[in-house]
Amino acid sequence: MKNFNQLNPVATMSRRYIQTLRFTLDIYRRLVAIQMRAQVQYRASFLLDVLSVAITMSMFFVSLALVFARFGNLAGWTLGQVAFLWAIVEVSFGLMDMIFSGFDPINFGRRIRQGTLDQLLLRPVNITIQVLGDDFVLRRLGRICEGFIIFALALKLAHIDWTLGKLLYLPCVVIGLVCFFGGLFIVGATITFWTVDSIEAINILTYGGSEMLSYPAHIYPDWLRRTFMYIVPALFLNYYPALYFLNKPDPFGLPTIMPFVAPLIGIGLLGAALIFWRFGLRHYQSTGT
Amino acid sequence: MITVNNLQKYFSINQRQQGWFGALRGLIKPTQTVVRAVDDISFTVQRGELVGYLGPNGAGKSTTIKMLTGLLVPSSGELQVNGAVPWREREKYVASIGAVFGQRTTLWWDLPVIESLKLLQHIYRIPEPRFRRNFAEFRELLELEPFLNSPVRSLSLGQRMRADLCAAMLHDPVLLFLDEPTIGLDVVAKQRIRQFIAHINQERSTTVLLTTHDLSDVEKLCKRVMIIDHGRLLFDGALQTLQDRFGGKRELVVDLAEAYPTVVVEGAEVLAHNGLRVTYQFDRKVVSASELIGRVSAQYRIVDLSVREPEIEATVRRIYEERLLDREPATKGGRGSGA
Ligand SMILES: Nc1ncnc2c1ncn2[C@@H]1O[C@H](COP(=O)(O)OP(=O)(O)OP(=O)(O)O)[C@@H](O)[C@H]1O
Ligand SMILES: [Mg+2]
Repeated sequence: MKNFNQLNPVATMSRRYIQTLRFTLDIYRRLVAIQMRAQVQYRASFLLDVLSVAITMSMFFVSLALVFARFGNLAGWTLGQVAFLWAIVEVSFGLMDMIFSGFDPINFGRRIRQGTLDQLLLRPVNITIQVLGDDFVLRRLGRICEGFIIFALALKLAHIDWTLGKLLYLPCVVIGLVCFFGGLFIVGATITFWTVDSIEAINILTYGGSEMLSYPAHIYPDWLRRTFMYIVPALFLNYYPALYFLNKPDPFGLPTIMPFVAPLIGIGLLGAALIFWRFGLRHYQSTGT
Repeated sequence: MITVNNLQKYFSINQRQQGWFGALRGLIKPTQTVVRAVDDISFTVQRGELVGYLGPNGAGKSTTIKMLTGLLVPSSGELQVNGAVPWREREKYVASIGAVFGQRTTLWWDLPVIESLKLLQHIYRIPEPRFRRNFAEFRELLELEPFLNSPVRSLSLGQRMRADLCAAMLHDPVLLFLDEPTIGLDVVAKQRIRQFIAHINQERSTTVLLTTHDLSDVEKLCKRVMIIDHGRLLFDGALQTLQDRFGGKRELVVDLAEAYPTVVVEGAEVLAHNGLRVTYQFDRKVVSASELIGRVSAQYRIVDLSVREPEIEATVRRIYEERLLDREPATKGGRGSGA
């Protein structure tokens, strides 16, 4: 009985897999700790930074609120309901930007040009984890804070009927969005293996996409909405879940399962992006010096 | 330990076009130029060897090293190091090698040296006793003590190189790749690094492949050299063979016992004749040193003499400039290219 594990190849393999995973996460934790320590070294300036970002970003929402004060609602959505959409995007995008900053095409493009990917490739640790761990931006807490402020506002104004299902599903929506935008970052970063000229196009997709998701989908012209439903399925990531949370009918009459595919789409896109990234790594050319 | 067969690496570079029309055309159909950085190279390296990998700027040395260290995927050809194909099993493979790129540090810019090394201990999963033992040894050999607590970004070039060398050796790699480890260093610093390389090669039998532009590195360290230019291997063999074949003219300096009006001998040319001192230049292929000395002493009474070998520096410069090796297969230099 004692030798059972040693004889069973599946057990041996899965044990080795778990060991590698634990090792990789341990290295990730250490790399992130270094980043954090460097960033909070000057505590006052760090806090000021976070605070000022939170306040500036909130101002955008204040200006939206002023529009509501005049028109009352946005295509049938109240301020509180739009705030709910907005808050989820802000928290998710902030989290994503904190974790995936290493894959921000601008940062990664610079890494390629300067040849610093070489030093990561020389170390016996998963390369994706190293790129993530080498660029953890704690300062993005500012945007996350802003998201929470607006979320508080949404809770106050929108009167959501909370159920256990909704409570459990909320973090899944956030995870879906983080994976989705992270996946876009990874795709953009991978493209820089071939060309750095396309960074702008990817940025339109990520930053433009996050902007777009902050408003109810039915305010957009059909072609734009369809693009973000069927080509880049971003609208299923927070608009449809929001319909569920806010108990609103679906104006486009899609199956009632649609609010619940968000995490699947997010994780699916991240998975596809990682496969593309693996492929891109084979085409890495390093630099001449 | 290293087996390389018909290894090639091509880089395709997108040409940037002028003007916005050109940029548009570049998007649709990019004009590409192909650089053959490494063009059909074959060699083997045995365990414990210390090989110098030479060549002028842009020859393809760094590109070769990057393939050997798993950073670049070859365009074609075979590559096996320590039983593994570097790029295919990168994570597992790089745990068994060390590499220092003189141009760039592999340490964390903002971390003190000691913390960088401790982080590497976790990354390479080095057991504590082994880490302590190695660190103690390298700290002494490389004189790391004075800057152990300084962040890497504040180190001088020589200090950084020493820290990088220590970092590359902590996990007892069987192979060490060094790409210009003495670049930009002063004489003393170079000396220290050479001693270190010789030490780990002798004491630990670490196989070392080293590129450099400083030929005294090679002279002091390597028995075997490989010369590469335009991505092709031109010479692979003993340093001495290179010197014998391409060493150019040697010089014989003679101090005469009395003044002679002419000092001509057969087989040598008089380079200089100042009073009692004569300098002859001769070609090893025409006459050997002992033969020439015999002839001189038969004709004139001499007090003293010395033979000057051409400098390796000059030899290699001639090989690069006059492209002496251009149309020769690399195997002629001595060692077989090892199939
Ligand atoms: N990442 C790259 N992209 C495009 N071309 C490259 C790249 N790396 C190297 N090259 C080209 O390949 C050739 C060989 O370069 P390599 O860096 O291997 O030379 P080297 O022998 O190391 O030269 P040096 O002594 O100057 O360091 C050069 O023509 C160089 O321009
Ligand atoms: Mg080089």
